[in-house]
Formats: sequence, C-alpha cells, structure tokens
Amino acid sequence: MGTVGLALQWEDTISAAEGEGGRRVEPSGIAAGENRPKSALPEDAALAAGCMAGDLSAYERLYRLQGARMKNLARNLLGSPTDAEDAVQDTFLKIQRGIKSFRGQSAFVTWTFRILVNTCYDLRRRRVRRKEHSHETEDEMLPRQEPRAPGAHPSLRMALERALETLTQHQRDVFLLYEVEGFRHGEIAAMLEISETASKNTLFQAKKNLRGMLAPPRSAEAGGL
Amino acid sequence: MTITCEDRERIFQDGTAEEWAALETHAAKCAACEEEIRAWKALSAAAVELREYREDRALWAKIETSLQQQEAQRSKPGFWGELSLWGAVSLGWRTALASALVLALTVSGIYVIRHGNTNKAGAGPERLLKNSALAEVERTERDYMKAIDQLAAEAQPELNSPATPLMASYKEKLVVLDSAIDELRMETGRNPSNAHLRYQLLAMYQEKQETLQEVLETKR
Repeated sequence: MGTVGLALQWEDTISAAEGEGGRRVEPSGIAAGENRPKSALPEDAALAAGCMAGDLSAYERLYRLQGARMKNLARNLLGSPTDAEDAVQDTFLKIQRGIKSFRGQSAFVTWTFRILVNTCYDLRRRRVRRKEHSHETEDEMLPRQEPRAPGAHPSLRMALERALETLTQHQRDVFLLYEVEGFRHGEIAAMLEISETASKNTLFQAKKNLRGMLAPPRSAEAGGL
Repeated sequence: MTITCEDRERIFQDGTAEEWAALETHAAKCAACEEEIRAWKALSAAAVELREYREDRALWAKIETSLQQQEAQRSKPGFWGELSLWGAVSLGWRTALASALVLALTVSGIYVIRHGNTNKAGAGPERLLKNSALAEVERTERDYMKAIDQLAAEAQPELNSPATPLMASYKEKLVVLDSAIDELRMETGRNPSNAHLRYQLLAMYQEKQETLQEVLETKR
C-alpha cells in the first residue's frame, strides 16, 4: 500500500505519542482506565432506571456524561457537525422510544452508543440514496471533514483524517471507537454486533493500513526517522 | 519469556501484558522492533487529535424539547384511549348517543341499499379497484414478489451470517420490512379492493427490493 502523500512528521508525532497516547497501544487490561473515558459508569444502572421511568433529568444526566463523546463519534463517523447533532438528537429520541426494550445485556451506555452507531449508519445510507437520486459524483458524496477547533497537532490530525477515509468503513468505525472514543473491545463487540476477536482483528488491520499510509517516505527514513 | 521479531504483529494484535513487556525488552536491542512499536503507539497518540469533547448546551436544549414533544405525543390517548372517556358520560346520555348512532347507521344503510346500484361504478373509483383490475394487480404483485424472492435468495448467504455491522443493520431492516409486508398483506387480504393499502404494500416491496440490491452491491 502506498503512502498516498499522507506521511506524518514522525519526529513531532513521536514526542507527543510517548507523552500521552503511548500506553494505549498496550492491551486494554494494562491501560484500562488510564486514557480511556469511563463508559462503564457506576451509575449506569441508575441512569437506565431513570430513563426507563421517563425522568427527563436522567436523560439530561446521560447527555452531560456522554453527549460530547456521542457528538464527537457521530462527527467522526459522518464528517459533519450538523449531521452529528441530528444523529445525537435522533439517538435520544430512539432511546426514549426503545428504553422499555433495554434488558441490561450490556451496559446502558454501551446500548445507547449502539443506537447512535446505527443511527449514523442510517444517515450514511440515506446519503448514498440521495447520491443515487441526485446523480452526484462519488467525490461529492464523500463525508467532508469540516473545520474543527485547532488542536495541538493540526497537520497530524488532517493526515489521519485523510488516511482514515481510505480504510474500509468497518475498520474506520472500530478504530474510531477504540482509539478515539476509548471503548474496550468487549464494548465495541456489543455495539457493532461482532465478536471481541473480530474487533481486535479489525483494529489491527486498520492500524496496519494506517501505518502503511502514514509511514514516512523512504528518503526521510534514510535521513534517520 | 523469549520474544522475537516474528512475534511482534501477533502481540500488536492480541498480546498479553507479559508479552508486551517482553516485546519492549526485545525492542531495546532491536532497532526494527523499536521503530515499529514507536510508530504503532504514535497512531494511538494521533487518534487523540480526533477527540474534541465540548459541552454543547444548545444541543441539549433542542434534544430536551424534542423529548418532551415525543413524550407528549406518546401520552396522548389514541382512539381506544378516547373511548375510555365514554365511562365519564352519564348513563342517560350514553343511551341517547347510542340510539342516535344506531339511527344514523340505519338511515345510511337504507340509503346505500337504495342508491348503491346506480352509484357503484363511481363509488370512490380512486380507492376501490374493479375486479378485473384487481386480478391484474394481484398477478403483477405475485410476479414482483417472485422477483424479489430471487433477489433475497441471492443475498441470503450474506444476511445469514453478517460479516459487517452494515450487513447486520441491513438484516435488521429487512426483518422489519418483512413484518410490515406481512401485516399489510393481511390487511389487503381482508380488504383486497383498497388501492391505498396496495400502494403501501408496493412501497414496502420497493424498499425491500432497494435494500436487497444494496446488500448485493455491498457484497460485490
């Protein structure tokens, strides 16, 4: 696989990596809780019970705890903050409609994210349909990453976003859920209805592909990167 | 534990804590593994750049309003709920209303019997299908269903064991569509001349056809 002009500046990257995200490369058993947002909240059951009772403040609490993470995931899945807001709003409405069917087979938060992911898939499908009807070109229909607030490494983020677009949808989803949102493989498995092993394998393939695409060009490599 | 370069990818994929520690020890003396570990970790670090958590109270305000609206909608009594108000009406009024209803039904029945034959052809022509048209619709519908069944058979292997979440979601959608189709078919069975029901059924079939086509395209 070629590098498609997405080479990262490894020197800059590595210094940042070792400082913050380096530990996350380790199996979840080791890194658990260090860099990951907590999804298995102790109040998970109380939150579910509150929502089930129709208590609006429970929904508000869910939003306060997970809203930003939901919107971030939706934005990364859909590429647009407006679509992401619609997806989050739809998700809350679906939670309210379907809360009676929640049986506690997974954590409540995992269940809500499963709804969010499916809602994003629906939006994507609608986009594809729109494309078929409006005869837009493939390029016009690709989710466009709209500008974000400047981060610590904007060029790194842009390179990663472009590289992610070249992954399969499944690989991208697992990468986003694990590496960006900090879910564990067990949670991802429940959300995407796959096995934990499949989640691990997919993440590995995703990272391997990204590694291939973001690898420094040979000349830079020769220069001691 | 002895680790070599060949173990590296397996450990990246699903290594235990001990294996990771052993790999890092090995990497201290192996430049290639050291570089790979460094790059692997860099990807995780780069991913954090895509994490932008910001509280958005305006979005919550929108969600709250829509949740309240949905709840209000759901708690509105439906037809049967409205009937429960009947219990609040006094017995005298209930008897009077029921008699009025019986009278209205009798008068309309007599009217239909007297004028039914003359108006038959024009009675809601857009809603009711004539016998010959109905037979034609049913024949076409059977052919259409047969074609969709063939599509479904082609897509079946993918749907039986969905390999991706997208496929699983298609499967769920098809289950919902099938149950809607079954319900509509039962309704049309009870009321075969209702064109509106037929249109709804056709729309469901079209949706199913499109979904199956998407499944097959995804498979390719």
